[in-house]
Amino acid sequence: MSTHIERPRYQCALGGALVTINSIERAVAIVHSAPGCAASADGAATVGGGYWGTTLTDGRATPSTNILEREVIFGGEDRLAEQIAATLEVVDADVYAVITGCMTDIIGDDVRAVVGEFRKHGKPVIVAETGGFKGDSTVGADFIWEAIITQFVEKGLEKDPKLVNLFGFVPAQDVFWRGNLLEIKRLLGLLGIKANTFLTPFDDLKDLKEASRASLNIVFSDVHGVKPAEVFEFTHGTPFVSEPLPIGPTATEEFLRRIAAQLKVDDETLERVIADEKAYYYRFINPLTDLFTDQDFQRFGVVIGNANYTFAVNRFIADDLGWIPYFTAVTDLLNEEQKQAVAKRLETIPADLRPKLIFEADTDRITERLNEQLAQEDDPYGTPISPAFVIGSNLDRPLAAGLKAAFWGVSYPITNRIVTDQFYAGFRGGLHLVTELISVLVSNR
Amino acid sequence: MGLKEDKIVPGREERVAACMAFGGCASGIGKQDKICLKNNERGFSQAGLCQLLPTLGMLLTLPETAVIVHGAIGCGSTGFGMNTSIRLHHLLRGNPNAKDSLWFSTNLDESDVVHGGEQRLEETILAVNEKYKPKSIIVMHTCTPSIIGDDLVGVIEKVRPLIDTSLLYSHCEGFKTKVWATGYDVAFHAMVHGFIEKDKDGPPPKKEGRKPGERPIVNVINLASMGKPDEVELERLLNAIGIDVVIGPNFADRETIRRMTQADLTVSVCPTHDDYLVHYLNTEYGIPCVLKDMPIGLENTRRWLLDIAGNFGLENEALALIEAEEAKVKKGVEKYLPALKGIKVFLSAGEFRALVTGGLFQELGMEIVGLRSYHHDDFGTEFYDRLIEAQKGKDFPIDIANFQPFELVNLLKKVDPDLFCGHVFDNAWAARLGYPTITIFRIFDHYVGYRGFYEVAKKAVRNLRNHAFNAKLSQNVPEAYRKEWYEKSPFAYIKSEAA
Ligand code: SF4
Repeated sequence: MSTHIERPRYQCALGGALVTINSIERAVAIVHSAPGCAASADGAATVGGGYWGTTLTDGRATPSTNILEREVIFGGEDRLAEQIAATLEVVDADVYAVITGCMTDIIGDDVRAVVGEFRKHGKPVIVAETGGFKGDSTVGADFIWEAIITQFVEKGLEKDPKLVNLFGFVPAQDVFWRGNLLEIKRLLGLLGIKANTFLTPFDDLKDLKEASRASLNIVFSDVHGVKPAEVFEFTHGTPFVSEPLPIGPTATEEFLRRIAAQLKVDDETLERVIADEKAYYYRFINPLTDLFTDQDFQRFGVVIGNANYTFAVNRFIADDLGWIPYFTAVTDLLNEEQKQAVAKRLETIPADLRPKLIFEADTDRITERLNEQLAQEDDPYGTPISPAFVIGSNLDRPLAAGLKAAFWGVSYPITNRIVTDQFYAGFRGGLHLVTELISVLVSNR
Repeated sequence: MGLKEDKIVPGREERVAACMAFGGCASGIGKQDKICLKNNERGFSQAGLCQLLPTLGMLLTLPETAVIVHGAIGCGSTGFGMNTSIRLHHLLRGNPNAKDSLWFSTNLDESDVVHGGEQRLEETILAVNEKYKPKSIIVMHTCTPSIIGDDLVGVIEKVRPLIDTSLLYSHCEGFKTKVWATGYDVAFHAMVHGFIEKDKDGPPPKKEGRKPGERPIVNVINLASMGKPDEVELERLLNAIGIDVVIGPNFADRETIRRMTQADLTVSVCPTHDDYLVHYLNTEYGIPCVLKDMPIGLENTRRWLLDIAGNFGLENEALALIEAEEAKVKKGVEKYLPALKGIKVFLSAGEFRALVTGGLFQELGMEIVGLRSYHHDDFGTEFYDRLIEAQKGKDFPIDIANFQPFELVNLLKKVDPDLFCGHVFDNAWAARLGYPTITIFRIFDHYVGYRGFYEVAKKAVRNLRNHAFNAKLSQNVPEAYRKEWYEKSPFAYIKSEAA
């Protein structure tokens, strides 16, 4: 059963669908809802996502029916049809995605029928029912991906053995989605694999249209994007694998090895790429060894964030930084099956370095649970996890302050720095993360 | 009806016949039939705001308050953005350690939509009260619970006797009004009912007349139209002529808001924001009001000050102050005037703000060539004429639009101004077309009074001097609209019933 949530770290289903469309080049959303929904949905993401900001067809330029009481009483289908026709006239895009808010789903507008009329006439319009009460942003992202996969992606294309699609990213929920995708694409490119990323400003909509050519879908999550990947497999026959977001040399090497095996990349290329990239990481890290060891920069880790990041960060600090993960809170709203998938993934971290895992959306309750955990530690000085480092979101600063711990934000919301092409994925992403974490530790000098 | 009797705040289209869609000449707006205007619609529309958003923005400023957004999980999610600006406000107010705003979502899901959300709301209020012990709790009712028929007031009145905390509520469902500025009224309504009318101590008694020699106290209403520097400027001016000031209701606590009933005069800095509250204080507490100017630009500031002074027989003091201040500021801007002479400016903001800022630019020797107002109501009408008169009858196009950037960029391309001055989130559209831009309001800067006059002049000259960022940007951004759109009138999608 759901409960109230303090300062939720996501938007509603509509929001997740909207930011996904907003991230796809030459795609535009048509929001069928009351006047504030689009602004609420992406207003939050565009600030909380490291000031992602807006481009030309999102934010206040998002086409929206802005329905009012009249439509709520008499139905909003005519208004939607009018808005779709007008949007096709005014806005220069190649795919138009109708997404709905709470009230249109409650009053039961037949949006599929309205959109169906346009599709019959060959207009590139797709539709997803994304009423906010159906879930959080990640759920909405899944809804819109399913719509894209079934209504937009071409069927029956020949497969390309060296083409993959990358899924599992929800823009702004992963504040670094653009940089991460670009870096993973670069790495796979070194192996001779072409990767479609879809959600960066450098993608071509044609690649999305022809995404069914891919012979593998890689979902960088155990929970988000999994359902669309299943729909993709069913619709277009492309299988998928769930991979954790790889941060740092250990995780990324394993990731590349698994993908190389699956796509039959030759050993020589694989070994060369891994060696080169690892060298990149260690040739920057090596000179820092004095600092690391002399200053005792090992920390107890408290990691708070979404399902994708919590595992990836814990793993990096355990495997590469040599820290002690202590406690981790997954803030997504997950069902039991999804929770099990997340827990199972965490079990790949050896037991003595595995943090205590909780699922908790509410910021204040996270602090309570951490304090309960600390109270069980037998420590006469009351500082069992000092020195600690909290890696979370801006909302977790008070928790860090309470622990007298260092703090760095990598999860949504991030409002105290801007994010452009930074990334944490891969060898170089790990280097970035360690650079930032250690910078926090020396920032007062 | 008025704030006291209204159970639910009426939309501004009903209360003040506000209009959201009109395009034409500035000279024409006063002649339009109000009823026709308010019924204008758009066949193509872009996302606006809903009344929830300004209400939330205001209520989150109240110290030690928990805001409960009753609805699906997305409605309050812009709280993060609002919280960043509230943090900055606190910094400017000298409380760097102020706590972050606190808000909750009742997180209604599919099963709640079927079974109703009243119980969840009740539990949330009690749980929040118990755990956080806030000084006040505010419940905001959004579209979803409203459509499924949750009885907000019923829940509130059931819980009120159980807790010792001020309990406020607001009906701010987005689908109920197209004029999101209604949200300001909703926030006032919540505060007045929660802290005054239904307060545990009851409404404060009316103040007795001022004793001889006692300095008059005026309420200066600040919603979201002034930052700290502007408050300081107005306080300075009013203090200088012997008047004390209470500023609220943003950032004010229960006591400050109750104190507003004890003032001798209520002064608005933006009639569009304030009239609902000002009239309440007038009818219930007999507090007279000044509600027609905004102290931006020399002429407006002069009128604003004289109006206030007139209430207390302080005209001579005011005149002396005005003379001295004007002399000083005119000297201050002298060196900027040559660069500003004849500059064609386009304004975009809430109607009143845009209009009075237009007056300021004219006083600096600039010309208004276009203006976009977020909505139109009667408070603005005569100011359009004043602007036209001040530039010797030269008319200019106006666009009444709750944002609608597609109309704005079309109009900008036709008007081709030298400078754009818009509200936050407006400037980017002009910047991407390569125009120099200045923000019409940020909480860090001076805009009102004499200091504001000087600072705006300086800022305009600075941006005109180098707008390379915008110019280069414009060469590197794609076009969002079809080229046929630019061949049409910017107002092509406005449907008026009369037509
Ligand atoms: S329009 Fe209604 S559902 Fe949408 S954000 Fe505003 S209150 Fe929430």
